[in-house]
Amino acid sequence: MGTVFTLAQGTFGEAIRRKILNIFLMVALAMIGLYFAFTSFTAREDLTITLSTGLGVISLAGVFISVILGINLVPSEIEKRTIYTILSKPVRRHEFLLGKFFGGLTTVFVNIALMGIVFILLVWFKIRHPEASVWEGVLMIFFQMMLLSAVALLFSVFVSPFVNFFLTFSVYLLGSMSSVTESLATPGKDKNPITVGFFWLIHFLIPNL
Amino acid sequence: MARDKSSPSTGAQTGEVESTEGFSGAISSVAANGASAASGEAAIEIKNLVKRYRNMITREWVNAVNDISLEVKQGEIFGFLGPNGAGKTTTIKALLGLIFPDSGVVKVLGQAPGNNEIKARISYLPESPYFYEHMSAKEIINFYASLFGLDPRERSKRADYLIDLVGLASAGNKPLRAFSKGMLQRVGIAQSLINDPKVLFFDEPTSGLDPIAHRDIRDLILHLRTEGRTLFLSSHQLSDVELVCDRVSILYRGKIRKMGRVDELVIGGNVEILVMGLDPTPTVTAELTALGAKLEQSGRDTLIIGKADIESKNALIDLIRRYKAQLIAVTPTRRTLEDIFIETVREGEVEAGEATKFAEASTAEALEVK
Repeated sequence: MGTVFTLAQGTFGEAIRRKILNIFLMVALAMIGLYFAFTSFTAREDLTITLSTGLGVISLAGVFISVILGINLVPSEIEKRTIYTILSKPVRRHEFLLGKFFGGLTTVFVNIALMGIVFILLVWFKIRHPEASVWEGVLMIFFQMMLLSAVALLFSVFVSPFVNFFLTFSVYLLGSMSSVTESLATPGKDKNPITVGFFWLIHFLIPNL
Repeated sequence: MARDKSSPSTGAQTGEVESTEGFSGAISSVAANGASAASGEAAIEIKNLVKRYRNMITREWVNAVNDISLEVKQGEIFGFLGPNGAGKTTTIKALLGLIFPDSGVVKVLGQAPGNNEIKARISYLPESPYFYEHMSAKEIINFYASLFGLDPRERSKRADYLIDLVGLASAGNKPLRAFSKGMLQRVGIAQSLINDPKVLFFDEPTSGLDPIAHRDIRDLILHLRTEGRTLFLSSHQLSDVELVCDRVSILYRGKIRKMGRVDELVIGGNVEILVMGLDPTPTVTAELTALGAKLEQSGRDTLIIGKADIESKNALIDLIRRYKAQLIAVTPTRRTLEDIFIETVREGEVEAGEATKFAEASTAEALEVK
């Protein structure tokens, strides 16, 4: 476990300094800030719209951060040959992968937490009382990104980062349309069994995001 | 696990060392003794190793390593040579357990590589190593030390000692992104010594370094030799290899073409015989050619370059006496490892049915001159 922790620490230190991820974070924070700055909360203002906009921004930034980070975790180690110096030490392969995963996950967590905290504070400031559903929403986004990071890491061990980007993104899109694939996978009188079987397989394989 | 290396006997912990200062000073006195401490036990064993890769474009299988066998004794410094793409790094990766052989047996310290028990006793320095740039030299050594399960106090002590040993004491707290290639290579050496390894695998340790850093790393290798460690060294710096290695093998296209002790490989060079008053008539030239010698004329002086074995040498001297020329000097010339390397690679190319790149280049040059 100590090895996994050490590797996760190293991965986190490297990942948190990646400029491209910082850009996504900054853009998301700016969008949340601007939304609140230019939206006047009146009695007519629907809180639900504000919450879904804010959580949508956090979710989108989270997806980009998770995917871009996840697809590069292992390939960058191979490209830079760091993996050889690590795996030639008493480190098992699964420990290496777990270390990379948890390091990446911590980075995603920190990024989502930062966006979440800013959003929660702004909502609190505007409506003058804490809103529990915001916490839940942010937490659910983190769980979603946890799954997505695992998918990106899985693909990263056998496809190039470029292909992985589209693969992971496709999984995210299909996973987000889980209710659609579920309904298509449900047998019906006028449905082709092959099509139903295909969508059943998709629905079975792709995590419900 | 790791032996306490803070012994003052190496002198590495005395005094402040500048970041670009060599570590040769601390170790050159012991390095000068340089005798090999090779013992009878095998540190590395390779038997009929084969590793194949599939060409992604042609879909053909290529033997990166094609049935090689070798044994390296404990305490030996073994030079693993070959042109780019010969299969050196693939072999090293198989020895580290990073890749799995398609067939054959690979053993390090008597066991199959890859398990943590063996990994704790070996180390690897890849070519042009890269480390997490946000960390300082001390932090990265600490990071690698923690992979060996050392406790924080031991890690810190070890990091300080190694950073000092490789001459980075004054730059130990700077982030690695500010380091030059030579400094990163020093960090690489330091990380390879964390666990006090019995067997070290160095892949191009001096590639792209300035002469000072180059000399320092060469001196460190000599130092490691005096400590009785086994070193498997892959390098293109043939003069270094000749200086530090006990034995070498030359790999070409995944096959070992030549292997032996360095001193045995480099003997059997030529002899240069300087004579005066030898008329280079066609008869003389033909006789010399028959003896495998060639002739260079410079005014009244003639330089005969012949084979160095006693029989050829005596036959050449008899010829000179027969033609009543004056013998000025007989100088044996020693072949260098570079000569052996180029000769071996050319032989390999001829065997593989390729026109040699060297010959092609010479022909192109000759055509340009014309």
